[in-house]
Amino acid sequence: MDFLQFLTPMYLFLIFSGTLVGIIFGAIPGMTATMAVAVCLPLTYSLGLDNGLALLLGLYVGGISGGLVPAILLGIPGTPSSITTCFDGYPMAQRGEGEKALRIGIISSLVGGLISLAALFLFAPALAEFAIKFSYVEKFLIILFALTVMAALSDNMLLGIFSGFLGIFVSLIGVYDVTEGGNGQYRLIPPGTEYWLEGGFSLLPVLIGLFGLATILEGAEAGMPKGQSLKDIKVGEHSRFRWSVFKGQVVNLVRSSSIGTFVGILPGVGGSAASILSYTAAKTASKDPDSFGKGNPAGIIASESGNNGLTGGALVPLLSLGIPGDSTTALLIGAFTLQGIQVGPLFIGNNPGTWDSMIVAMLLANLVMFGLMYFAIRWLAMVVAVPKHILFPVILMMCVIGAYTINYGIMFDVWTLLIFGIVGWLAPKLKLEIAPFIIGFILGPAAEIYFVKSLESFGTLSIFFTKSWIALLLWALIIGSVVGSAMLARRKAQGQGAAA
Amino acid sequence: MADLFQVTVDFDRSHLIFPRLIGIILLLLGAAIAVSHRQAILNSGRMWAQTFGAMDKPRFIGTLILTVIYFLLMVPVGDLWPNTGLGFLICSIPFVALISILYMHERDARSLLPALIVAVVGPALVWWLFTYVFALTLP
Amino acid sequence: MKLTRRTILAAACSAAVLAQPMAAAAQDLPRNVRLVIGSNSTGGDTYQAAAIVAEALSERLGVNIKVDAVGPSEAFKAVGRDKRGTTIMLHHDQSYLANLYGVPGNPDPFEGYVVGPSLTINPGNAYLVPKNSPYQTMDDVLNAAAEGTRVRVAIQPGGVSEIGYTALRNAARMNAAGSEENIVPVNTGSQSDKNQAMFDGLADIINGSIQANEQFAQLPDDDQKAMRFLWITATPEVLQQGPEAGVGNLTRADMLQYAAPQTSVKLTETEDFTFDKRFFLIYNKDMDPAQMQTVDDALAAIYQKGDIQKRMLEAFFIPAYLPMTESAELLKGKRDAYGAIIEALKAPQ
Repeated sequence: MDFLQFLTPMYLFLIFSGTLVGIIFGAIPGMTATMAVAVCLPLTYSLGLDNGLALLLGLYVGGISGGLVPAILLGIPGTPSSITTCFDGYPMAQRGEGEKALRIGIISSLVGGLISLAALFLFAPALAEFAIKFSYVEKFLIILFALTVMAALSDNMLLGIFSGFLGIFVSLIGVYDVTEGGNGQYRLIPPGTEYWLEGGFSLLPVLIGLFGLATILEGAEAGMPKGQSLKDIKVGEHSRFRWSVFKGQVVNLVRSSSIGTFVGILPGVGGSAASILSYTAAKTASKDPDSFGKGNPAGIIASESGNNGLTGGALVPLLSLGIPGDSTTALLIGAFTLQGIQVGPLFIGNNPGTWDSMIVAMLLANLVMFGLMYFAIRWLAMVVAVPKHILFPVILMMCVIGAYTINYGIMFDVWTLLIFGIVGWLAPKLKLEIAPFIIGFILGPAAEIYFVKSLESFGTLSIFFTKSWIALLLWALIIGSVVGSAMLARRKAQGQGAAA
Repeated sequence: MADLFQVTVDFDRSHLIFPRLIGIILLLLGAAIAVSHRQAILNSGRMWAQTFGAMDKPRFIGTLILTVIYFLLMVPVGDLWPNTGLGFLICSIPFVALISILYMHERDARSLLPALIVAVVGPALVWWLFTYVFALTLP
Repeated sequence: MKLTRRTILAAACSAAVLAQPMAAAAQDLPRNVRLVIGSNSTGGDTYQAAAIVAEALSERLGVNIKVDAVGPSEAFKAVGRDKRGTTIMLHHDQSYLANLYGVPGNPDPFEGYVVGPSLTINPGNAYLVPKNSPYQTMDDVLNAAAEGTRVRVAIQPGGVSEIGYTALRNAARMNAAGSEENIVPVNTGSQSDKNQAMFDGLADIINGSIQANEQFAQLPDDDQKAMRFLWITATPEVLQQGPEAGVGNLTRADMLQYAAPQTSVKLTETEDFTFDKRFFLIYNKDMDPAQMQTVDDALAAIYQKGDIQKRMLEAFFIPAYLPMTESAELLKGKRDAYGAIIEALKAPQ
């Protein structure tokens, strides 16, 4: 019996180091799991398939998880998929509960990772079968549901929704991407700027501009007040982490992990949608939706279990259809073909050894991620005790590296960082809301493709209602979310009226 | 009845459908905002005056100017030693140092020394890591 | 240098050992070269071809070569800016096809750039139908179109994926004038979109590849996802050079069944249409010709030695080295031939 023969010291070492490097990449604003996998991909040729995959899967799990650290402590999402972690994690850190927030995030990450791994291990072919029932129409409705979070995240409904649509509009600038199914034509580019803007603004520089550089500019505007508030991150007795935080959150954990897994399974919907959808769902289902965005642990739980749920999910279509579920797993195809291994519907049956090895690697990577991060928390939390005049310039430099390297060396991405840093600084003054803006920006391109392609393929608007029972179910969710936000807004307005 | 919803999409012009739709929605929302928030919009001049009045101008404008210079120099400097990432390294050290000094409150030796050490070690470490270990391209 | 980097990284990126790059051995090529590719993906075939070639070249010349997946328009910009030979581009037939199809952001590589040596061929470009499709051969497709049946073909417009479709329309016109109007495109994006278009019943034929779709062809008949190869566009000469075992269950002999001349899609009355996806280098037009010669010489020596061929065949690439002048001439010929069909189809008959 040669089961588990891949469990060599080298294999374990690669999982450990992959996860560690992944966490570091994830934790640096501007560096992503995708990039971590991309830079290490060439190594896998000499490592052999099982060991190479162990390294890459460690990087993947670590990279997705590491993003929560700067999201919580600095309010800068380390990766696009930790954007919703900022919304509640940073407010908690600001009121001195950073350590607690980190623990919640890390535990949720582990749970999300394990649930999605179980789904991958037990149901991969069946889930892939279900996923191909999702055509352009259903995918559009999923994105539409995720977009309803724009309303839920708005402080002022009208201004928030305007910001969200503005985000979508800005995301459409440039080429209508041929590789996504577009016609390759330009639109919304001001004359004379085609040289820079033909590819549009990249997500990552926009993100770290709005959240990273803008924070620094605000600090500079205020004269860099000495950072007592940051030093307060140290645990106060009242805010110590207790497992009881998770009481009543089991449903949230399971729901968010499942949503994350499912988004991973659907090719093309995109990794960042996982945490946004989980967050939308958690807020819609919550008894106290108003507390989301103000430091509610349930928000962190939803976001982090959602984005780690993605990891197992994205491997489902890769291993059972040969189709990657997100941008990181797309790189894994390269690792297989470098070894002359085909991925497709027969992969699991033809390569049981590799399949086992991947499952074990994912399991170990999740555990290593948890171990490394959970016990490094006190250490991590010290980041915020670093004086701002040292921390901020270093963050700025890291943002520049992230922006420059995200598309393998394009200077315009660095300028994008500056442009959106200024936008992020201006926005609160213009009463524009950043959270809905970035959600619109992230989801805009997918919304466009699926909407236009649905009409192109089916030729009628009614298809959105008549396509399938899945479509009807999604409409129910969309309406539930919109009605929920509207009622919340009304209650808020009445509350203010009564107070005044 | 079904005919009411029928649409034909011309693929060659399909890149304009969604931007127009979103553009129209933005205009409608913008008009609604202009009406409902007209008071705030009319008072925006005062808001800006206050903003600029309260601003720490040296730090804010200094940050912007240093950043623009940093971005502008990186590529031409890097072009002197192509594909080595030295443009990044050479520009980052003074940039990090100057921003540090700009943000500092007491500019004495006790604050300056650690800041300067970070300004040298930080970029050098990052440059080494990205250029050699990860083999990524820097300016 | 590559090997050193690998070992360092394999040692968990934590090892603090680092050797400064040795002085370059090559006289004319800069010590640090950036190889930009016409694809944004580091998981795709362009990146793989580039990685294999870059490793061999950097070993041979003793220079550092970094592969950057910046995508077509950024790659053209980067190589267009740099006359010193520090930036070189690697791309395939997409480079001139996108220009022929008029996709913005795609300059003509034969104008303002220098087309360099050919390196390798990916012979995988194929067209597939659902397993239960009425079409058994390409002739069935052409006859159906002639009889007035609409045949929907899922492609990614504006390049390699569209050229076979264009050839099919051309053949339909020769078969029965006007019947090309019955062959209609379903414009999609990536491979998964094309597969999905088939699963959704939106396409009768999809463009795919041997590598990505072969396992779908092995599925049992009653599986909704089951597919069947109909046409492989590569030339028989190129397929002959591939491994005899082929890919998965599809042997080389099987592949030849689907390729010309057994499966024939006419280009002219006497000639079959074929398309090999060929990877080649593109230089800045003002780059020193001595440097280009250095690359050519190095490549000739590398292919002479023979290790690179093994490496390529493992990943189902067909080694196909051609020195610069021959390569440019061949590609220009291909470009003109394909350009002629694209133009001809635009004009109503």
